[in-house]
Amino acid sequence: MMHTSQGQEWLDVDLKVEKGGFSTFFGESGAGKTTLLRIVAGLTDPAEGYIEVDGEVWFDSKRKINLPVQQRKVGFVFQDYSLFPNMTVRENIRYALADKNQENIIDGWLAAMDLKGLEHERPQKISGGQKQRVALVRALVSSPKILLLDEPLSALDVNLRLKLQDEILKIYQKTKITTILVSHDLSEVFKLSQRVLVLEQGKIVKSGQPHEVFSNQNLSGKFKFVGTIVDIQKDAILSIITVQIGNNLTKVVATDEELKDLKVGDKVVVASKAFNPLLMKYDGR
Amino acid sequence: MNKLTGTIVHIESSEHMSMVDVDVKGDIFSSIVLETPETASYLKVGRAVTLMFKETEVSIGKNLSGQISLRNRFGAVIRSIEASGILAKVLLDYQSVQIVSVISARSAVKLNLKKGDSVEWLVKTNEVSLLTEKG
Repeated sequence: MMHTSQGQEWLDVDLKVEKGGFSTFFGESGAGKTTLLRIVAGLTDPAEGYIEVDGEVWFDSKRKINLPVQQRKVGFVFQDYSLFPNMTVRENIRYALADKNQENIIDGWLAAMDLKGLEHERPQKISGGQKQRVALVRALVSSPKILLLDEPLSALDVNLRLKLQDEILKIYQKTKITTILVSHDLSEVFKLSQRVLVLEQGKIVKSGQPHEVFSNQNLSGKFKFVGTIVDIQKDAILSIITVQIGNNLTKVVATDEELKDLKVGDKVVVASKAFNPLLMKYDGR
Repeated sequence: MNKLTGTIVHIESSEHMSMVDVDVKGDIFSSIVLETPETASYLKVGRAVTLMFKETEVSIGKNLSGQISLRNRFGAVIRSIEASGILAKVLLDYQSVQIVSVISARSAVKLNLKKGDSVEWLVKTNEVSLLTEKG
């Protein structure tokens, strides 16, 4: 049972994640992605179920097995970083170090993640991107069997997000650690994951490679978004419809026939052939 | 949106795109899609599909001669014309199905379009979307 904005809902899933693979839980907020991650980590207990990792049972409600968080060997990166404010960058990382005699592992990661000059700073002194790098390193030095990333980049601006995606990909390719990402950013899913599991209302409704899961839809239009009509202005033969898509307002012209069943507030699919849109380099203006 | 239903009769693919020919009551329409039979299960000869294209993408020609790159060109009769401001909406009778074309009012005047005229209507292959029933 999980609590969502729609009230309580059952999370009911049966899934396997490939060892050494990069998988993503994708879905709207409230779909159960984070809850699922927390259950794997041992931060939330399911009502019933079974979790096995690499031959070791982490949870079995029938046999009353429930491995505590500390013994589960997961690296968890939260959206809000969750660094200890009273510790320096290095101390934050050392706290999670699996073998305290292996300080050189910390040095290696600090250098690889461009954090070398910041090791003695406290978290409040460093930027959001740097904090998330520290959180990543902290998760990695515990030598986890699984790396769990709960929308780790969603608080960062676009440029930083793209850069950190590259770094996550590099880390994954270097370590081949089994990674589960929670994301609702399609470009992130395509860039990072080999497999995506789509969650809706506590259930997995689709899974596969990103291009399989997201391409095989029934309209051939590739330039396709779901939005909400916020305004309709009539202008002679055509009307101009303002549609909010994410945080962007777009305008689409439509004939009376197209508008027949549509009114302000309706959800609509805005689609165009992939051949029409113009692409220009965005210079931030 | 204009809609016509038909059946896929031929698919020619490159690595990532396909040219799909669709039979609509004996006329062959073409649509280019960014999919191939490998990536999209609906791309099969014999599959029923709906062709969709925007009214503003339908051009109208009268007494056309010479060659043109557009593959989708078909005969129709004008049912009515409604001009308002800078645009004109032309309703066409194509095989007893209504096709709507929105063109500039200037063009409607220049072509001297009138109710009952026999014309050709044209739509580029890359403007035609394919819609299939789910599954």
